[in-house]
Amino acid sequence: MKTTDCKDVLANSSCYIDGEGSDELRQALEEHISRCRRCRVVFDTTGKMLKIVTDAEPFEVPLSVSARLYARLEKILSEV
Amino acid sequence: MVADMVAEREGPEGDLVLVERVLAGDRRAFESLVRRHERRIFRVTLAVLGNIEDAEEAMQDTFVKAFRHLDQFRKESRFSTWLTRIAVNEAIQKRNARKNFVPLAEVETAEEHITPKRHEEWKSNPERLYGKQEIHRIVEDAIQSLPQIYREAFVLRDVEELSAEEAAEVLGITVPALKSRLLRARLMMRETLAEKFEEPPTLKTKIIHKAVDVRIAVAMRLMRATSR
Repeated sequence: MKTTDCKDVLANSSCYIDGEGSDELRQALEEHISRCRRCRVVFDTTGKMLKIVTDAEPFEVPLSVSARLYARLEKILSEV
Repeated sequence: MVADMVAEREGPEGDLVLVERVLAGDRRAFESLVRRHERRIFRVTLAVLGNIEDAEEAMQDTFVKAFRHLDQFRKESRFSTWLTRIAVNEAIQKRNARKNFVPLAEVETAEEHITPKRHEEWKSNPERLYGKQEIHRIVEDAIQSLPQIYREAFVLRDVEELSAEEAAEVLGITVPALKSRLLRARLMMRETLAEKFEEPPTLKTKIIHKAVDVRIAVAMRLMRATSR
């Protein structure tokens, strides 16, 4: 990656966040975000977004939905 | 996820052990499998379908199908991946049968999905801004507001923490396609959550950012003018 513009940086942001990409690519991205405030904010807040999603309370199946599932399974499991 | 993987390999109640028990005739062991996976399967069908009624039906059909075809489960992949694939297939079939289904190409080419519009920093302690319940709701609403193909990719990869390869396999798409959807999904999620977590810009930062933007615009114009 010789010239790094904001569009390239953005296109590779997901890779970077997932710890993928060559050392060369990662260095080029880091170099870009050190001098580009807009891209830095996008990287930083995407990371924060993922942390908020991961830390949010675990998702629960509504009780009534779960109850109907087990009722249907009961019928199937008791079939001979 | 890590706990799931450990549980799958070890212990009397591991997935593989439960599968063996069901296949050996202990039908009740299937209930334990359902209990372990209902949360994930419901989440996945909800991600594909976007409404609780359809997601519930798809989840039920998934477990019924899994029970009836359990002997077809090949142990090369993890049980959870096999089950998730059934769930995605069930949900996609239901989705395609809908009249108002939006064809993929239209959503996928929309460029505005990738251009960030919000450029303010976020507050450092989101958990202090809102209660747990409230954050949960904000996150759920944001996920539900994603277009379907991005929601699927995001839920499988970033919520259920499947690997990129597993998520691509489950959705029946290539790994690069999965990554491209995931990138857009993440950028869209960032935009949506920004409304709630952004630091309101002070007048001073507004002026500085404006000045920087103007400077860039002027520089660009000069460059264009001199290169003519």
